[in-house]
Amino acid sequence: MATATGVYNTTYRKDFALRHTRAEYIRLGLLAAVAVWIPYNLNAYWLSYANLILLAAIAAVGLNILTGYTGLVSLATAGFLGVGAYTAGNLSVFYHWPMPMAVAGATLMAAAIGAVFGLPALRLKGLYLAISTFAAQEILSDRFRDWKWLTRKHGTIVTSYPKLGSHVFKSNFEWYWILLVITGLVVFAGINLFRTGLGRAFIAIRDQDIAAEVMGVPVGRYKVLAFSIACGLAGFSGALQAYYPPAQTVTWENYEIAKSFIFVAMIIVGGLGSISGAVYGAMFLTWVPAYITRIGQSLQTSNFSFLIEKLPAVQLTLFGLVLVVFLLFEPRGLARLWQRAKDYFRLWPFRY
Amino acid sequence: MNRFIRRLALPLCFTLIAGAGVACGKDKKSDNASKTNSSGAAAKEDIKVGAIFDLSGPTADIGTPYADGIKDYVEYRNSTGGVDGHKLALSWQDFKYDPTVAGQLYGQYVSEGAKVFMGWGTADTEALRPRVTTDKVPFMSASNAETLTDPTVTPYNFFPGASYSQQMRIILQYIADHNKGKVAVAFFHHDSPFGTSPLEDGKKYIADKKLSIDFSDYAMAKGATDYVAQIGQAKAKNSKYIIIQNVPSPAAVLATNLASAKSTAQIVCLNYCANEIYVKKAGAAAEKTIGVVPFAPPVAGLAGLDEINNFLKSKNTDAAAKGQGYVQGWYTMAVMSEGIKNALAAGGTLDGPAIKAGLEKIKDFKTGVSDPISFSSTFHAGLLSAPLYQVDTGQWKKIQDPITVQK
Amino acid sequence: MILGFDSNQFVALTINGLANGAILAITALGFVLIYKATEVINFAQGQFLVVGAFMVYNANHTWGLPWPLAVLVGIGTGIVLGLAIERVILRRMIGESTLSVIMVTIGLASALGGVSLGVWGAAGGVGPKFIPSGTVHLFGDVSVAANRFWAIGVAAVMLIGVGLFFRYSRHGVAMRAVADDQQAAMVQGISVNKIFAMAWALAGAAGAIAGVLLASVAGSYDLGMEAFAIFVFPVVILGGLDSVLGTVVGGIIVGLLVEYSKFYLTVSWSVILPFAALVAILLVKPYGLFGQVRIERV
Repeated sequence: MATATGVYNTTYRKDFALRHTRAEYIRLGLLAAVAVWIPYNLNAYWLSYANLILLAAIAAVGLNILTGYTGLVSLATAGFLGVGAYTAGNLSVFYHWPMPMAVAGATLMAAAIGAVFGLPALRLKGLYLAISTFAAQEILSDRFRDWKWLTRKHGTIVTSYPKLGSHVFKSNFEWYWILLVITGLVVFAGINLFRTGLGRAFIAIRDQDIAAEVMGVPVGRYKVLAFSIACGLAGFSGALQAYYPPAQTVTWENYEIAKSFIFVAMIIVGGLGSISGAVYGAMFLTWVPAYITRIGQSLQTSNFSFLIEKLPAVQLTLFGLVLVVFLLFEPRGLARLWQRAKDYFRLWPFRY
Repeated sequence: MNRFIRRLALPLCFTLIAGAGVACGKDKKSDNASKTNSSGAAAKEDIKVGAIFDLSGPTADIGTPYADGIKDYVEYRNSTGGVDGHKLALSWQDFKYDPTVAGQLYGQYVSEGAKVFMGWGTADTEALRPRVTTDKVPFMSASNAETLTDPTVTPYNFFPGASYSQQMRIILQYIADHNKGKVAVAFFHHDSPFGTSPLEDGKKYIADKKLSIDFSDYAMAKGATDYVAQIGQAKAKNSKYIIIQNVPSPAAVLATNLASAKSTAQIVCLNYCANEIYVKKAGAAAEKTIGVVPFAPPVAGLAGLDEINNFLKSKNTDAAAKGQGYVQGWYTMAVMSEGIKNALAAGGTLDGPAIKAGLEKIKDFKTGVSDPISFSSTFHAGLLSAPLYQVDTGQWKKIQDPITVQK
Repeated sequence: MILGFDSNQFVALTINGLANGAILAITALGFVLIYKATEVINFAQGQFLVVGAFMVYNANHTWGLPWPLAVLVGIGTGIVLGLAIERVILRRMIGESTLSVIMVTIGLASALGGVSLGVWGAAGGVGPKFIPSGTVHLFGDVSVAANRFWAIGVAAVMLIGVGLFFRYSRHGVAMRAVADDQQAAMVQGISVNKIFAMAWALAGAAGAIAGVLLASVAGSYDLGMEAFAIFVFPVVILGGLDSVLGTVVGGIIVGLLVEYSKFYLTVSWSVILPFAALVAILLVKPYGLFGQVRIERV
């Protein structure tokens, strides 16, 4: 891996280090500073978007482990968000489990179901596999709508705020910190996964699964495991969303196929095979629609009556075009763009 | 060319980000400006109203006229002096029937000072229910689920119409009264909580009142292009009536399928397909369909629509052309405004609890298209009654004055 | 009726299932043509249905053209749309990862959806009824809408046509060659770019035809038609992503399966069963029933 000149990794320890140069430490420091700055300076509206980004990032990291690192596409992320949300909702509302246990239970449930729906990966590849996960998504979202017992005939589950002692966590501000820590841990674990044998086995499977098998990687078991990790993280994110104050309601419309596409878009826009890319992607795809909405609102008070009348159409078109144009400019995503920006400044004023 | 584009990419991204920053900054400035304006001027303070509409999602066909009704009512009300001198300041956004987006927009509008909130469907109403209760924001939507009518559970949810369950009871009672002996009724519904909302209450009503009705229910899957199989099942039960709880487009498909299958069953539409969109789409197959309509279609010549028609005259159209959804939106906003007016009349600060009390004071609010609307501190649906209309040569015509039934 | 088995009902279900299968097959054809040539799954195919169908609606209803011309306008728009998308966007994506390209088509679907919404509005419309929609009575006491037979007929003609095109026409053979091996085809003097453009144009045309048929069967023109294309995935995968014959067999299987399961089981089974069948068949035949089996080497 290329880093700055003058960095010679003379020991294995150094070679495995997550950060090699001082610039990388400075970047980490800046990132931490921004993360602390955000909750004190954003208004409630944008802070709630920050929280949504953190929630989405958890599932996006999982999906990137599956798709970007192991090479298996999943179109069922929303379905597993739903598995997590419905499990957590059931456990907490109907069985009165405390939140941490309910979330843990939901994560395990999603991981288990994910492993089952990952079984076709033993035999299928590429787009055929992608479409079999699409089948999983359709089956799951149909079940959410149809199984009345999931909500005990209420149609929706409404969770209560998580408590610690007598303190109730209900503000965006508190949730920001909780989610920041959780998402930080997930990202940290995600990055570290690829310093372990398991992570390298995933990459070997992505690059050439037959070759990986020849090298002694138990391909089948690891593919199912990758599904299980990705779906577990999606379930984890879904379970947290079930408690997250602005939502706090588990309803089937949230777990439809369109949302799965958004998650795939996140990791592609962010950059396949990059944990930080998944976070950038989550930012991009949460923030762009919000920004487009914002533009729409400022147009309402303007005089463009034609635009106001056609506002939803314009917004939908704009969102699609942003996605298309972005991918035309940089098909390998934000992570790659970041890399290019770094190279540009590092070599400046020279071209190469 | 490609390389050229790529070279452009970076600066472009930076400009975008910078532009976004500027835009956000602008928002703040304009917020401040509006604040100073309103406090500086002698005019009474605006009353902020937040609203979400479905203009591009799965229910956009009826969502669009409903939204127009709300927007136009606000314009009308402000042009005639507002609510007790206060102008209504409506902020709205399309939410594509996505409950997460609904949650975000609700949070935004309420934090910007919206006193009341106008929702749309079952998804957003259910998702916002707990927050509306904790934030004490009076909430009205077009979701008429009976679970929203009990103030001890959902103190801030209101809707001006009759609940889906009540519509179901009305038509079941009508069927029982107009038939001798056992009659088979098939209930076709959208495959979701919206569709099944009146199902259990309908069954319970039949059991409680010992109606001699043989009731069966059939789901209408989303994206289906025909309902031939369900029609076959209903036929096997000799269903004499087919009650539809769905939006116009699938209901129209069902009606055309029934026509091709030479079915003689009487079609009955509950609120959301008993409108002109359904008639237009189903064409001849819609003939003789009965509609249970808390808010009647604004057919030409109906008395009491002067308010709307006078307003629309300047726009060279009328209520009949705008349709049933438009009128429902109009009167929903009108009822909400009436609640605000009551709250202002009572004095004190204008906040959620005050408006809630104001809404609960509404007695016999007249509309051109329904029985008078009333709320109480124990019941938050505006109507218990609905008239029946029937399609006659492509027009909805009244066949039955409003029927009221008790649970 | 023997043992509770209603044969009239069964026939009606079968004809409806076949009609749905026929429309599914034409829609699937659009996917397969593009996949065969370019290895891209086009998620904007549903929007091709909408745009094509609404152009027919426009031409007939608003501009007052007679229906054969209107249909030609619809097909023409589909072709132009396909060509434009290929030339302006997808040609620039050649060589990028399949997933990025698929994502571009998803973005396109959103953009096209927005444009259709802006132009035609959410309410949709009742379009030209040039396909007879009366009722046909068959032997016994079976009554089926006439447009079902039309759908089956049009699909049969079209799919046979496409089959012959691939088998006997110069361009068809060239397309197969490109699908088999792009490099070898180029060596033979085949312009791969032209073949890609042709695939997109044909997919646009197939989308327009499927859209018009769907609108006639459902009875109205609706932006929601776009969702129909998503249910085509079981069809393409069942048959094999790169097989034209596969779309026919897949379409028929899924169409009948949905219709029978709705009647003999429950509606919710009819949603799940095609997907369950899909997974089951894939586990036995990983490349679908007629898909090309790829031998992988390290």
